[in-house]
Amino acid sequence: MQPSKLRIEKTLYPGSLIIPAAIVFGFFYILPIIMAFVMSLTDWNLSRFYEPKFIGFENFEYIFNDPKFLLSVKNTIVFAVFTATLKTVLGLVLALALDRQLKTKNLMRTIYYLPAVLSMVVVGIMMKSIFSLDGVFNNLLGSIGLDFLQKDWVMNKSTAMAVVIFADVWRWTGFNMAIFLAGLQGIDKEYYEAAKIDGASGWNMLRKITLPLLMPAFTINIVFNVIGGLKVFDQVFIITGGGPGFTTQVLSTYVFTNYSQGLLGRSTAMSLILFIFVYGSSSIVNYILKKKEVDIS
Amino acid sequence: MSTDSKNTTVKLTSMEKQRKRTDLIIEIIVIFFSLIIIVPILIMVFGSFKDSTEAAKFNILPPKEWHFENYVYVITVGNIGRALINSLVVTFFSVLFCMVPASLAGFIIARRTTKISSRSQTLFMIGLYAPMNMITTFALLRVTGLLGSYFAVIMVLAASQIPYAVYMVSNFVRNVPRELDQAALIDGCSSLRMFFTIITPVMKPILVTTTVLVTMNSWNDFMVPLYFFNTSSRWTLPLTVYNFYGQYFRDWNLVFANLVITALPITILYLYAQKHIVSGLTSGAVKG
Repeated sequence: MQPSKLRIEKTLYPGSLIIPAAIVFGFFYILPIIMAFVMSLTDWNLSRFYEPKFIGFENFEYIFNDPKFLLSVKNTIVFAVFTATLKTVLGLVLALALDRQLKTKNLMRTIYYLPAVLSMVVVGIMMKSIFSLDGVFNNLLGSIGLDFLQKDWVMNKSTAMAVVIFADVWRWTGFNMAIFLAGLQGIDKEYYEAAKIDGASGWNMLRKITLPLLMPAFTINIVFNVIGGLKVFDQVFIITGGGPGFTTQVLSTYVFTNYSQGLLGRSTAMSLILFIFVYGSSSIVNYILKKKEVDIS
Repeated sequence: MSTDSKNTTVKLTSMEKQRKRTDLIIEIIVIFFSLIIIVPILIMVFGSFKDSTEAAKFNILPPKEWHFENYVYVITVGNIGRALINSLVVTFFSVLFCMVPASLAGFIIARRTTKISSRSQTLFMIGLYAPMNMITTFALLRVTGLLGSYFAVIMVLAASQIPYAVYMVSNFVRNVPRELDQAALIDGCSSLRMFFTIITPVMKPILVTTTVLVTMNSWNDFMVPLYFFNTSSRWTLPLTVYNFYGQYFRDWNLVFANLVITALPITILYLYAQKHIVSGLTSGAVKG
């Protein structure tokens, strides 16, 4: 670039305009993350807030030998894998259906997206009522002759996680749909015209045109679903509180449990692991999918 | 010749018929499955007008008698008025402190070709991928004496959403021609004035979408107020409702009324702004 052009760029777009955002974000978001690297190496406790003592990697040693922590890691991964897959697949199916010339297209889009605007408190408490002992779900099972399946789904150790997963999928599938619809709108209709002249079948057009050109939408959905899944807090905290037993405890809720016991050093170490875990996996997923995007185009 | 074209027409109309039939089947399936969304919401809305015993049956029938007094009771006993004001204050200012800095930064990042652009983009991307650290944020707020204040919750919510807003805005601006800015410079505008008089109107679609999405996130957020508001008088609606549920979990009519009050403002905003959401997602997220 010529120097004069660079000077124009600098006067026209002064870098100083980035500063306000950088300050707010840097102070309230990045600074605490940096602090976490230091404080996770201390025996920091709420009762001795200003006197943390350096203890090296003791917190991490403790955590990795804590079966409850390892279980919450496992639960987090189960939650993230199931919700990310279901939300992406169902969101895609809905988007493909609602991209067609249906009479109720707009109404249906509105309805399917609606859960995404509701607070998780609303969704969570609603789900508790639905899956409770005399809730709608059991009534439905009863009415189709499956009485023997009736139970308190939230309080049952083997089904509580499924309820939490259902709540999350219920809430976010419409959002995935909206991203896919946005992607579908960006596909040039001429591709389909050309393919039709060549006599391509609908299935072939989906495989050879639609899905490859939807790659950017896939990237956004999958990356956000993975991040949201690994960070999960509200869903679990509101619906099960981590129970029954420890069957739905995830990383974020276990961090909160330790925090409310005043164990700041240990919970900082845990949330640092969560940070590395989420940052690492979402970067990897993003890298893989972006590479695929390039390969296709 | 004439039979030939006739044949094509017949073939086309049969294809057309086939497509219409497929569409009809798909339509029926889509409508059927929308019940999974509609039924829970109906149970909640109808339930909020029932008496306690009727609401606990959790059916989709409308109430036998409409008990509007449920809402009066919830608002007076559940401290909803206060929570509503708290939610409005927290949401409004967190959106303001997110959107103004983020749209400036997003614009510059999209326009500058120098290192400052790529470096700050990398910085903001961290926030897009990584969760915030609640424990050390708590400590930071306590040390600075901000813990428990509106300001703290507002700024944490703003900071956590700045990356999304920067991402959306910068993706959008990359598709806006630069000639517009240069014309402003020739007219002798300062860059800030250019931004607010010429660029902002062009960015309106993405600003509307992003503002709506950020508003929804702030309004619905549960974790930040839970960690950083220690007094219940400052609690926002989701937290107040969660607490109310803990005390009144046997009175589903009251709980449902409480949920409806929480969901209503944001649902109205959504119905009003929904056409901007998909178009904004197209230009801000998917195209980038």
